[in-house]
Amino acid sequence: MAFLLRHLFVGVLLLLACSSASLAADSASPATLPLGLPPLPSPPADNPPTREKIALGRRLFFDRRLSPNDTMSCAMCHLPTQGFTVNETRLAVGINGQTTRRNSPTLYNVAYQRLLFHDGREFTLEDQVISPLTNPVEMGNPSIGYVVNKIRGLPGYREQFQQAFGEDPNVATLGKALASYERTLLSGNSPFDRWYFGGEKDAVSAQVKAGFKIFRGKGQCFTCHTIDKTGTLFGGQSFRNTGVAQLALIPEKEVAVDLGGGLVIQMPRAQVDEILTPLGKDLGRYEVTHDPTDLWRYKTPSLRNVALTAPYMHNGVLLTLEDVIDYYDRGGTSADGQDPRVSPLHLTPEEKQALLALLRSFTGDNVTVLAKEGDVAKDR
Amino acid sequence: MRQFARRWRLALGALGVAVAFVMSGREIHADETCQSPYLPKITGQEDYLYVWTLGAEGVGDGSDKLATIGANPAKQDQYGKVLSSVSVGGRHEAHHGGFNDDRRYLWLGGLDDSKIFIFDVASNPAKPTLTKTIDTFVKDSGGVVGPHTFYPLPGRMLITGLSNDKDHGGKTGMVEYSNEGKYIQTLWMPDNAPYGYDVRVQPHLNRMLTSSFTGWNNYMMDFGQMVADKEAMKRFGQTMVLWDFHARKPIQTFEVPGAPLEVRWALQPRHDYAFTATALTSKLWLIAQKADGTFEAKDVGNIGDPTKIPLPVDMSLSADDQTLFVNTFMDGMCRVYNVGDPTKPKVIHEQKIGAQVNMVSQTWDGKRVYFTSSLLANWDKKGDANEQFLKVYTWDGKALKPTFTVDFTKENLGRPHIMHFGQEQFYKNQIYTEQKADSAKVASR
Repeated sequence: MAFLLRHLFVGVLLLLACSSASLAADSASPATLPLGLPPLPSPPADNPPTREKIALGRRLFFDRRLSPNDTMSCAMCHLPTQGFTVNETRLAVGINGQTTRRNSPTLYNVAYQRLLFHDGREFTLEDQVISPLTNPVEMGNPSIGYVVNKIRGLPGYREQFQQAFGEDPNVATLGKALASYERTLLSGNSPFDRWYFGGEKDAVSAQVKAGFKIFRGKGQCFTCHTIDKTGTLFGGQSFRNTGVAQLALIPEKEVAVDLGGGLVIQMPRAQVDEILTPLGKDLGRYEVTHDPTDLWRYKTPSLRNVALTAPYMHNGVLLTLEDVIDYYDRGGTSADGQDPRVSPLHLTPEEKQALLALLRSFTGDNVTVLAKEGDVAKDR
Repeated sequence: MRQFARRWRLALGALGVAVAFVMSGREIHADETCQSPYLPKITGQEDYLYVWTLGAEGVGDGSDKLATIGANPAKQDQYGKVLSSVSVGGRHEAHHGGFNDDRRYLWLGGLDDSKIFIFDVASNPAKPTLTKTIDTFVKDSGGVVGPHTFYPLPGRMLITGLSNDKDHGGKTGMVEYSNEGKYIQTLWMPDNAPYGYDVRVQPHLNRMLTSSFTGWNNYMMDFGQMVADKEAMKRFGQTMVLWDFHARKPIQTFEVPGAPLEVRWALQPRHDYAFTATALTSKLWLIAQKADGTFEAKDVGNIGDPTKIPLPVDMSLSADDQTLFVNTFMDGMCRVYNVGDPTKPKVIHEQKIGAQVNMVSQTWDGKRVYFTSSLLANWDKKGDANEQFLKVYTWDGKALKPTFTVDFTKENLGRPHIMHFGQEQFYKNQIYTEQKADSAKVASR
């Protein structure tokens, strides 16, 4: 029965999403998940998806008026054209230009996430939306009630909430609408999926296949970025200390600054400090659990569409996939508490290239459609 | 008959002012150089300096404000003093602004939320009043964010943007409004040069020149965090665009790496060239017309030591095109160049203005030079180096000599940015002021 209900939800979700242009249309079988994705968790019982909720959630997601000075929408840190994260800065830039401590996590396939944020401090998408809306360095609203009250006063929203929920905007319906939209951001059917799950022998190159051998073997990637036969996200549900938190975002002595025109200079740290507002400490999962073993642990990200979600790691400290492969190849930072699975790999250059090709084969077939999500935004 | 008499009174009044200056041996030409040629100049000593000031947390009411400073040494009760301060409520990243084409209104922009505040500076030049706020700039323009340069054209205001509302990156455009504040059109920057910053027009050539900076994510974020972020540092303008002014069509794109900022067309009739300085690469560039009528951009020299990132910001060209003042933010210096040969600028003077310095405005006669300190709220220096000032100097061709300073922190004002000149006599010279007074008299009878 549970299976049937879940399958019914997937069908409803995909039909609704396809009809509202948020998901690549699989017209042959719209009630089927994109190839390679595992069975989709059911949404909360009190928030089944509807076309109206998804449309409302999309409108809210791209509306910069959801911040007090009309500058920040959810999309500003989760840009459809930049992999539903931000490619152009390591750390997300919030209201009034404040720098957040972490890189924006992508929202591709966020419907699968059991715990949300890099530190896993939230449990449902419905509840999660409150945090960025009221975080003083993200969207900066003084309270969630302030947001709800503002939405009530914006033209058209009351009617749209009534259509979707039979209620005026309130905290619960705001969360439900945004969550309903975010659950539509599914992406799969990548070349890797068509090869591994679909049995298409020529869907990927020999180099990708070699990369997969390394992924499962010498590279030990699969120990955290797991693969199930029924479908996979390549991670996304566990917390690990990869040692990356010990990499300094700003070097101690001098910072290499690329000024353009081929001019790269070493800026002394003292000069940087003159213009720097230091960030607060980031202790990772420990900030939620206060368990010392969780110090500097962060959620292992899904690798789906990973080629689109640079820069990498919870703080964007690694700019490219090549940097990430090099990082793991040298065994991380060997810091105290680093997960023992992160150890020197001794990969050859060819093996690194094969891994890179594999990671690039994880890009879903609907990403260009999803990248146009922001085009529908009309509110300013 | 009455009109005839009024004209005579005005003429005699103007003659009296001129005679007074000549008799005193202190002929003074005011107004800032390099403003729009469509902006009427004030003549004689400026009375006021309008300073668009960013609010700073914990300083006064913390709001952005227009501060009016007495600038006429003949009015000792006002000279160097804060005469008025009008808060606009909240912080909007106050930055640049400009008069409209009759100089009666001063338009001031906020780079963060893209609000535009329009002040009446004619009714009482000593105490401007906020008369209108445009809070639909982003919507009107179809997504341009960060109104920067306000450049008056006949009957309208041309405004450059820095960013867009789709991704807060550097793709942007220019927006035109009527003097009444009604949206007219948006000109998106060309695809091969999508960034924007400054705009200046050379009417006799029918050419408009634009420069390029960076998007909201960068200009709003913490400066120290940004320089350490290699991804962010990739997102700076590297181009300038030459436009057919009347057609508003791009003609040429120049590669000018490292964020070319202020555009300064030469002012003399046969000087068909402009200067800019690149903020990141610390170079002075000349954009000059060639014999075939097209233009070329040339690197004509370093500004300080580029490897130390002096960060050139504002610059000011003298009315005779001989002297160029260039401020560098990081070392707080003003470097004065002889640009008589525009292809070979020579430093003739260097002077430290403060721990940081940004804007520089010189008078038309080149005798007075005004400096302010603030660059951007999150780019200004931290701690003791975060000096916030207006400093005024005289220039004798050799050195800058201080006349007065206003400490904007002690005065509870904030972070001073762009400056514009105001004057009582300018509005009194205008016939419609008297007509208005006559009308009022008639109405009161």
